Amino acid sequence: MRHQNVSSNKTDSFDKEYCESLNRLYNDHIRLSEIRWFCSRAYDWAYEPDTQAHKVVLLGTAIPEELVIASGADPYWIIGGSLGSCAWSDDLVPRDTDPISRSITGYINRPESADLSDSLFIVPLINDSMRKIAYDLKSSGRKVCLLDVPPDRTDKYAVEKYAGQLKAMCEAVSEQTKTRVTRGAVVSAMKTVSDARITMRRFIEISRGHKDIITDAARLFVINAYYITPSPEEWRYHTECLINEIAYYSGASNQLAQKEPSVMLLGSPVLFPNEKIPFLVSDVGLTISEAVDYLSMKSFVTYPPKSLWGGRDRLIRNIASRWLRYDAAPAYVTNDVLFDYVSWSVLNRKIEGVIYHVLKGQIEYDFELERIETMLAQYGIPVFRLETDYQYQDVEQLRIRMEAFSEMLTQKRYREVKKAS
Amino acid sequence: MTDIIKAESLKQRQDKRFINKETQTAAKYLRRLKELSGAPDGMEPFYRALERIYVEMKPIEKAPGQKTIGTYCVMTPPELIYAAGAVPVKLCSGNYTAFSIGDSIAPRDACPLVKAVAGFQQTGLMPIYKDCSMMVIPVTCDCKKKIAGMLSAYCNVMTMHIPASREDEDMEEYIRQLYELMERLEKATGNKITYESLADGFRKVGYAQYELSEFIRLKKRVPYLIRGSHAMAILNSSSYMPADVWGKALHRVNESLRKNISEKKTVTSKKLPRILLTGSPIVFPNIKIPLLIEEMGGIVAGDETCMGERGLWDPAVITDDSFDGMIGALANRSLRPCPCPTFADNSQRIYRLKQLIKDNQIQGVIYHVLRGCLVYDYEYKRIENELGQLGIPMIRLESDYNEEDIEQLRIRIEAFIELIKLKQAPEKPAAVRRSF
Repeated sequence: MRHQNVSSNKTDSFDKEYCESLNRLYNDHIRLSEIRWFCSRAYDWAYEPDTQAHKVVLLGTAIPEELVIASGADPYWIIGGSLGSCAWSDDLVPRDTDPISRSITGYINRPESADLSDSLFIVPLINDSMRKIAYDLKSSGRKVCLLDVPPDRTDKYAVEKYAGQLKAMCEAVSEQTKTRVTRGAVVSAMKTVSDARITMRRFIEISRGHKDIITDAARLFVINAYYITPSPEEWRYHTECLINEIAYYSGASNQLAQKEPSVMLLGSPVLFPNEKIPFLVSDVGLTISEAVDYLSMKSFVTYPPKSLWGGRDRLIRNIASRWLRYDAAPAYVTNDVLFDYVSWSVLNRKIEGVIYHVLKGQIEYDFELERIETMLAQYGIPVFRLETDYQYQDVEQLRIRMEAFSEMLTQKRYREVKKAS
Repeated sequence: MTDIIKAESLKQRQDKRFINKETQTAAKYLRRLKELSGAPDGMEPFYRALERIYVEMKPIEKAPGQKTIGTYCVMTPPELIYAAGAVPVKLCSGNYTAFSIGDSIAPRDACPLVKAVAGFQQTGLMPIYKDCSMMVIPVTCDCKKKIAGMLSAYCNVMTMHIPASREDEDMEEYIRQLYELMERLEKATGNKITYESLADGFRKVGYAQYELSEFIRLKKRVPYLIRGSHAMAILNSSSYMPADVWGKALHRVNESLRKNISEKKTVTSKKLPRILLTGSPIVFPNIKIPLLIEEMGGIVAGDETCMGERGLWDPAVITDDSFDGMIGALANRSLRPCPCPTFADNSQRIYRLKQLIKDNQIQGVIYHVLRGCLVYDYEYKRIENELGQLGIPMIRLESDYNEEDIEQLRIRIEAFIELIKLKQAPEKPAAVRRSF
């Protein structure tokens, strides 16, 4: 009986978080009918899991899904993001584990989740937690395929190494799905995923500065929704519809958005349903002009026609090369891609401040902060480091700090106007 | 001008304070080691090596003009460095003062070992760091990965990608990296690695490993011939001494231990609880945990840490004496037997621990976790379950590079030792004296 209560409490916490986020997203966008589809997709993913077993499960977003699709599987991502799901991993991970890894472990062990009993888990070895999650999965008798991402991009063999890993992954998925990976299938998957990413970029561009039409939280949510949609085409279709809707409404004045200081959200990604940071940013009167994380930066991993030439192995090599070039995850010794993009962005997007979001335990982001701060100091852009986890107890403290940051940016603006006049 | 002079004198004062604090801490722990009873004869060269590096703050003793190569992990084969005519020096640090400097440079949640490294790099006062012609950093955890990026701004750094598994393809990839390391070493030292020089490197390390295996054999004996803290000092000093010199010094210790057997001279006549220390590395001067165990009446009978027995234990087995065969042997030695939690599947750590428990008649295990060392923390539960089935008690001790937690650690260690004592059969009471 006591056991049931504990289980029910965990489910309640999960439901509460999920439904509150969905309700707010839905209520903030009554006039955008397409948002409804994204909300219902998120609901279905969490509450009405597909009855058929998922053949391939991708942990995190650091796996080129094009090769999974080419190998005949529909990728089923588990990317974390939920405080509720962390409850199912409490006894399984150490205290200092980051919330994303906790949440991923929780989702895997969630009692009412999709059928993952016969799934092949693809685990990208990008950090310590992932390595140990792989160990746990293997020990519990699950089928596991490791994707060992080379940590040093300056290594002259990095692309070859990564391509080798991707080939091995293809073989493992192919064995699981009993489908041969052909050149045609890889080209088709590359095109499909590339088109979806181009749409993602268009969506990011068109929704920027239209906070009155689509909120910052919803923008991040739509990008997140890519990972809960069974096929990239489906996500692309609905995102295109959403883009059209935004374009339609954007004829109206967007004065409101222009009045608010625009900030860049950097660091750990915001993953649905834990949208407390974008909700807070919006509440304190700031606009996220740009959210630079490894999710949004994936929109640059597209394939020009030239990269679709050659045999199957050549195509896999091209995928490896593009991924290594544009992956902005902190999984590497240095993360020049991110720095280059941030320095370009602050100059071109009129960024007034940077919110550096660090999820507790995601130490790699903290290591990268120093370089980011030094670079942004040259442009006179203040950086605000915000450390949190998936708990909601710190919301009020974060709000006070963020309000102070918002006021500082507003004062800075006044000073600059005064100086100019 | 005055400002420059002021700034310079401020820097000088800061440096002086750093040196004072750093040397005092190292000297204190060295003194505690020396004061601990039961040290065998021949310990002096090891104390001297630690003193030279941390108290006198001098570079390691080497031939004039010989280069030093800094390494951060046991997965960098020292044989290759010797073959290039250089001396390897392990840069993983346990220094409290450098840690406190590094605390403001590295992220708050970074492990203390990495913070100490960052602290030394920042101050630029430690000769063993300054002298390195190159640093080899195997990427074994997130902190090492990111510190490699930080250090590459200051010195010649080579990162090594440690594969997460040990399949044949992974081994081939690691061998390729060893060849790349060879090239980098040749460039850094200006010496060519030849078949003979590599064989010589093997000889040097092999001799040290032979002496170590003999030392471990003697260390296992009951009643005890040496305390674990002294053994830890010997093993730690291997990081700062050329392998042949260290091997010779260890040979003298082994001789003295053998002599003690024949003379029936042991550390103590009491039956002390035998503890196995595993988890995050114990690096001098952060030897508070082994010291506390032994001050509280236990004995560190074995350790499964990378700065301890694991660091040099596994010898390279050459089955093919060609150059490629020797490189293959190095790769096999570095990865295959290694129970480092960097590997995704690390079941062999459990086998290794069980073996150590059996060989050393271990009664309890202390699992040391340096704050922020997530990979070790992840494996704690699994090991606790496995050892629980064997009836071996285990506690997790989390600590940092400071002395603030010493009393808390002392209480926990004391309670753990008491628990083991309660479980073990009571020692025979001394016979009642009947005649006076």
